[in-house]
Amino acid sequence: MSEIEPFVGIDLGTTNSVVATVIDGVPRVIVNRVGQILTPSVVAVSKNGKKLVGTIAKRQAITNAENTVYAAKRLIGRRWGAKEVEDARRVLPYQLVPGPEGHDVRVVLGGRTFAIPEVSAMVLAELKADAEAFFGRRVTKAVITVPAYFNDGQRQATKDAGRIAGFEVLRIINEPTSAALAYGFGKQMEKKVVVFDLGGGTFDISVLDIGKSVYDVVAVGGDTYLGGEDFDRRIMDWLTFSFAKENQGIDLRQDTMALQRLRDSAEKAKIELSSVQSAAIHLPFLAAAGEGKAALHLAKQLARDKLEELTKDLVERCIQVTERTLRDAGIRAAQVGEVLLVGGMTRMPRVQQAVKQFFGREPSRGVHPEEVVALGAAIQAHALLYPQKDREVLLLDVTPQNLGIMVVGGYFATIIPKNTTVPTSQTHVFTTVQDQQTSVRIAVLQGASEKAIENELLGEFILDGIRPARRGEVEIEVAFDISADGIVGVSARDVDTGQRQSITVTATSGLTENELRRILDENLDELLERKQSGEFERLRERALQMIGEIESLVPQVSEALTRSHYGKDALQKAEGVVGRARAAIASQDLQQMATNDEQLDRTVQLFKGLAGGGTVPGGEG
Amino acid sequence: MPVDRFQGFVFNPADLSEDVDLDLDRRREILFVHGHLADWTHWQVLGIPWNAPSDRAREAYREKVKVFHPDRYPGQRLGTYRARLEQIFRRLTEARDVLANDAARAAYAKQSAPPEEFARAEVRRLDDAERSRERRARLARTNPLVARAGRVHDLVERGREHMAAGRFTQAVNDFSTALAIDPDVGEAKALAQEAKKRANAEKAKDLWDKAHAAEAVNNVELALEMATAAAAADPGNPRYAVLAARLALRRGALGDARGQAEAAVRAAPAHGPAHEVLGEVLAEQGDKAGARRALERALELDPALDGARERLKRLRWSFLG
Repeated sequence: MSEIEPFVGIDLGTTNSVVATVIDGVPRVIVNRVGQILTPSVVAVSKNGKKLVGTIAKRQAITNAENTVYAAKRLIGRRWGAKEVEDARRVLPYQLVPGPEGHDVRVVLGGRTFAIPEVSAMVLAELKADAEAFFGRRVTKAVITVPAYFNDGQRQATKDAGRIAGFEVLRIINEPTSAALAYGFGKQMEKKVVVFDLGGGTFDISVLDIGKSVYDVVAVGGDTYLGGEDFDRRIMDWLTFSFAKENQGIDLRQDTMALQRLRDSAEKAKIELSSVQSAAIHLPFLAAAGEGKAALHLAKQLARDKLEELTKDLVERCIQVTERTLRDAGIRAAQVGEVLLVGGMTRMPRVQQAVKQFFGREPSRGVHPEEVVALGAAIQAHALLYPQKDREVLLLDVTPQNLGIMVVGGYFATIIPKNTTVPTSQTHVFTTVQDQQTSVRIAVLQGASEKAIENELLGEFILDGIRPARRGEVEIEVAFDISADGIVGVSARDVDTGQRQSITVTATSGLTENELRRILDENLDELLERKQSGEFERLRERALQMIGEIESLVPQVSEALTRSHYGKDALQKAEGVVGRARAAIASQDLQQMATNDEQLDRTVQLFKGLAGGGTVPGGEG
Repeated sequence: MPVDRFQGFVFNPADLSEDVDLDLDRRREILFVHGHLADWTHWQVLGIPWNAPSDRAREAYREKVKVFHPDRYPGQRLGTYRARLEQIFRRLTEARDVLANDAARAAYAKQSAPPEEFARAEVRRLDDAERSRERRARLARTNPLVARAGRVHDLVERGREHMAAGRFTQAVNDFSTALAIDPDVGEAKALAQEAKKRANAEKAKDLWDKAHAAEAVNNVELALEMATAAAAADPGNPRYAVLAARLALRRGALGDARGQAEAAVRAAPAHGPAHEVLGEVLAEQGDKAGARRALERALELDPALDGARERLKRLRWSFLG
């Protein structure tokens, strides 16, 4: 293992993230430094300005809701003003602002604004540190998973987050595909597999044709805004509504702390209800009742039936998407050879029941719904780094949405249809419509609607420097390609001259290259600073410890010294060393501290020797 | 692997000597396939025979991508071969997308068929058309339900043909038979009514001609019989009733004459001759005022009725005569 560079697969989830690797051909999850498999995808800045990630960040969320970011995945790669962002702004306790160009979304944390990829990068960096603690060495190579239904912007932003965290992102792969990979790894199979992935924030469904260790995705579908958190919100709404009814209309939604407590208990109750029929929700001192009155408590009993009733439509939506995706794949439910359940929400009995009913078969229980995605990512990372003779793996994924451009009349012309195997490319020829026209603007979109405006705008490309000619005489061939990551690239050339045209990208939902570089620089500075301050801490503690030791030994030593030929000279020298060390600590002079460290050490050795045996070792000068 | 597999293919020595982590055989294979991307059919790209089933295409694709997908060369320097692999992969995918889809595959098979296969397919297509006609006929004979529907269809068709040719009586027969088999055929119902009307009109006209012929030879009795039958066959046309009324008057059968005359007026209140004959009948019956009114009305509608004017004049001056 020592000769190969360590690598990881990361399931960057909406609520929780998991990191895994492959060791000696066996995929395994890396437990974080807190000893858990799941690291909450939560980032916070505490009252004293410290960045907190994971379990500690989640733990303080109740008292610091405004400065705690959860579910960043719902916002990543989204444009400011998108419906999803507007919806999120209404329910999230933390503050969102538009980026400097007005296109992307930023979050305000501890008085600073962060781009969403920066927030996700903090989670990734935490996982990176966990992996490094596990391997005992630097880890840079990673495969990161995203929901299959993520569009180009969301994938690009996730890749950026990986870069900010210090990873070399080998590949962005789809979560369901990853799950299928982990499921099929090491098995010989020839069948059609459906992956039903209902996670914290997204629902994904993929149909794969697996054979001869080739994982060929036939169709994908999903809803990036349907997941466990929607189930939680139904419980919260039910709780706040009944609370208001019982307590003269007190609206708990106005109180961020109460809301956070509700959120936590709703999630807990939901999880409990997967194994029991009824769960108790007990939140004492939840709200103030007004002057002079005792605080109000919330105590409710939530039955599984009630939860199922509250979330009936959400489960139905999953099944509808599943139906549509199977139709796209051109297969019937009966032809499916295996159904994999992925994501924590698939533990809900009603969800399992609905899946079973739809497919007419028991879903597979062979995979661990929370770990399987990260394991698959690790397997893919392994396959992308090292050739394997016995356990070959080849993933063939598809693009989840139609890629196209806006044409006259505001319509959407598809250039690469959804469910096309990636990598792929397609060209489209544009001509000038005016005499002497030197530039063309192309709006590239992704989505399913016929109307351009209803689709996601990936960016606007301006083709300029076109040679002046009569209209229609210049033909520009624009090539659209989708990489294996599902990320879109655009290039253009003049058909007649074969010359490449320059393309300027504007109005993307992600970070610009400059911004990315700036963030990376900042991170580097911060890292350096943190490293220095760590060093300082270490030296300071050591110095203080040694000073303490020296001072405690002084009475014994001075007694010994009076009897020896060293005289008071040594004591004075020691005093001088201690004094310099204190001064260096006070001025935080790292270099001086390093020099003092050695002198202090020698003094301690000397004093110990004097105090212990009475004989003086060596020749102290 | 036979040595002459790449026979006739010219390798560029520069490509073969590029500094990449691929052995010579693999390089040759990539260059060979890449060089043929433009002229090979989807079948050739996947290395399967023309018109192989879609399962074969899927299977062949899986085998091929294992060789030509860039991901299969992790950590290796591929140089210009990376772009070639990507292009081959895309072409393989395109071929698979067509050949693994049953509808697209069938269309492509037709389009890419070798000449002898094309001829064979054409013959088969013609045979198929013939066979399906036969099958329909056989089905019609054996299945009572289908047979009945087929028979109704045939009858209605034949009825239409008769109607178009002016053989209304035969048409009425066919439509009635069709309705007897299946009373719910709305189309047949409407057609039957139309045919009946047309058949009756035809019959009435025929009788009218006969009545005139009989009158011409002064066989008033036969003429009256014919005219009465014509009026009964086509009550909508007043001229038959008018003729019947006139003939009855000549025979002195005033009751019958009045009946026919009134029927003619009822059927066509704006028909002058109907009022004229009614006037004549009333005059014979002695109702002078009624007769005058009817004759005046007749002249009002049709001033060319000289007979009516004559008669009216006589009526007006009768107290003198």
